[in-house]
Amino acid sequence: MSQGRKPLLLVLVLALLLVATNAVVFAQAPEQTIKVGIMGPFTGPAASIGQEQLNWAKLAVADFNAATGWNVELVEGDTQIDPAIAVTIAEALISDPEIYAVVGPAGSQEVEAVAAAFVDARLAHISGSATRPSLTTSGFDTFFRTVPTDAAQGPTDGNFLAYELGVTKLFVIDDQTSYAVGLADEASAAFEAAGGEILGRESVTQEDTDFSSLATVIGASGAEAVFFPGQIASQGALLARAFAEQGIEVILFGADGFFSVDDFIAGAAGTTEGAYVSAFAPDIHDLESSADIVARYTEQYGEFGTFGPPTYAATIVALEAIQRAYEAGELSREAVRDQVAATDQELSVLGGPLAFDENGDVLDASFYIFQVQGDNFVLVPTSADEAEPEATPSS
Amino acid sequence: MHTQEVGKPMDIFIATLPQQIINGLTLGAVYALIALGYSMVYGVLQLLNFAHGDVYMVGAFIGYGVMMAFIPESGPLFAPVIIIILMLLVAMLGCGVLGIVIEQFAYRPLRNSPRIAPLISALGVSFFIQNAIQLTLTAQFRNYETEKLIAPAAGIDLGFARLSATRALVIVTAIVLMIVLQYLIKRTRLGKAMRAVAIDREAAAMMGVNVDRVIIFTFFIGSALAGAAGVLTGIVFTRVWHFMGFAAGLKGFTAAVLGGIGNIPGAMLGGFILGLAETFAVGFISATYKDVVAFVVLIIVLLLRPRGLLGARIPQKV
Repeated sequence: MSQGRKPLLLVLVLALLLVATNAVVFAQAPEQTIKVGIMGPFTGPAASIGQEQLNWAKLAVADFNAATGWNVELVEGDTQIDPAIAVTIAEALISDPEIYAVVGPAGSQEVEAVAAAFVDARLAHISGSATRPSLTTSGFDTFFRTVPTDAAQGPTDGNFLAYELGVTKLFVIDDQTSYAVGLADEASAAFEAAGGEILGRESVTQEDTDFSSLATVIGASGAEAVFFPGQIASQGALLARAFAEQGIEVILFGADGFFSVDDFIAGAAGTTEGAYVSAFAPDIHDLESSADIVARYTEQYGEFGTFGPPTYAATIVALEAIQRAYEAGELSREAVRDQVAATDQELSVLGGPLAFDENGDVLDASFYIFQVQGDNFVLVPTSADEAEPEATPSS
Repeated sequence: MHTQEVGKPMDIFIATLPQQIINGLTLGAVYALIALGYSMVYGVLQLLNFAHGDVYMVGAFIGYGVMMAFIPESGPLFAPVIIIILMLLVAMLGCGVLGIVIEQFAYRPLRNSPRIAPLISALGVSFFIQNAIQLTLTAQFRNYETEKLIAPAAGIDLGFARLSATRALVIVTAIVLMIVLQYLIKRTRLGKAMRAVAIDREAAAMMGVNVDRVIIFTFFIGSALAGAAGVLTGIVFTRVWHFMGFAAGLKGFTAAVLGGIGNIPGAMLGGFILGLAETFAVGFISATYKDVVAFVVLIIVLLLRPRGLLGARIPQKV
């Protein structure tokens, strides 16, 4: 009897081994090609932002591939921050059946232009920088973002100007993009609600470089501060230079788009000293939990601002959703979208948990205000931070 | 939420008018220099050189390169005036040569073709230069470090307005260049030949004028002025990038048409009027309507004077 058992045992062990190795193979890279698209302004006037986003996305894909042994490819689509180009790029990405998720586009005006096509294609796209509130409330169920909306940023900015800086007279400029117009409206409303007076509202184009005339107007208006939530950081620097040239003293306050050390600080030759910007992401240089990622990025790509890390977070969300869908045995665009919606990261690169609400907006996000001091942006503590309730872990 | 003025609008208008004139003259000086090249080439060849704006952009980049080569990382700066002159000269020479090359390869083979052919060729050259610059220098903005040559706060307080040193430099340089150009055209043999070719190319050739040489000369001078305009733009507005030539070229063309295309003083006048119109639009109407106002001015002038403000009757060729 005992002799007869041995072959059986051997067969059993062999079978177990086979199952085990099979399981390992299954957990490893899928055989089919899997791609993730990224849409951003890699050239053109917002190239400094787009290149940063692209590099962070590349790092995210490389990190994911290294961790899982997969071989996901990143497909680049350069939108030049132009909604018309974004539409063409979106169609190209949608028509590639090997693309299961897209990161971007960067600008709110671009998301507005392409979101409907993504809904039709059931293809999830996750932006790391589009902040217009209406994007997530318009029924685009394939759109997600890793940054908070201007519905939060506008009031933060307006209140900061009125209460923290004690400004009573404000001049507002937008750059005619849906992002800037929306944010300027939200901030103006909050500022007026706080008892402030808006002395004027002007629109410029993203191509403008001569701000001398506008500076004269603002100087004569008696405004104490200017709120200019433009997307092109160098325009903030050019406005600041025009003020300095004419000897006009006024507080310059910008938003996410101006968070660029190269364009807004170095390009302004000291004229933006003391200016403020609000940003949708923390400066992850200061985050201990992201120190390793920061070091690797800096080594490979150099310096960065606040635009890249949310795109890293968005890319990781996309990749992990694809992985979960694949492991659940159903890799389709619809399944990936569902997995993106179900994202629940304990700690993202942005230093906190990352999950989406039913609209695709990031849960519990906050805004950050920075001031230009010397060669850098320095985080300004606001009373809103202190008022924020402590996050209490439930049971 | 919309504009509520403090003080009476009239008071603000009077208080800011001098400053806006200075702002407008600066912008106008740049437009005028670009317009001159458009107008000169049109006068001689009846060709709209749509690559002209990109020559201007190349000039801005050459000036940037010279500036960066001569400004030390730290330490005292050696003679800023000489650096500025060098930037202008190198950019003008470089752009002049570029203009000759463009003429040689893109326009000369098409000189006897229908007029639409060199126009298309011009657009092609424009795309080529833009993309060549983007490919080699990337799409990143570059910033002139003007503050290292001229302190941003340097200037004269006139009481009613501030004339900064950079603006004074731009306006004066542009005017000097225009005077030199006037001298070249009115007082030299080559200038005389140029005027002759502009009036009638075939007759001038029959009188022994070397038409090819005149055309090369015209492209050289026109492009050199665009190069100077590029450097001046860099000095005063600091930001340069590969796509800056498109809008500037359009404005230069508008200014040339406004003054009467083919007419040299007209191009200068058109440039200054356009610069002032845009600046006043921002200052007294609204920044949003800047380009609207500029083009409305153009339309009104063309309605009243179809050949532009100083446009001479150009003999129609059969």
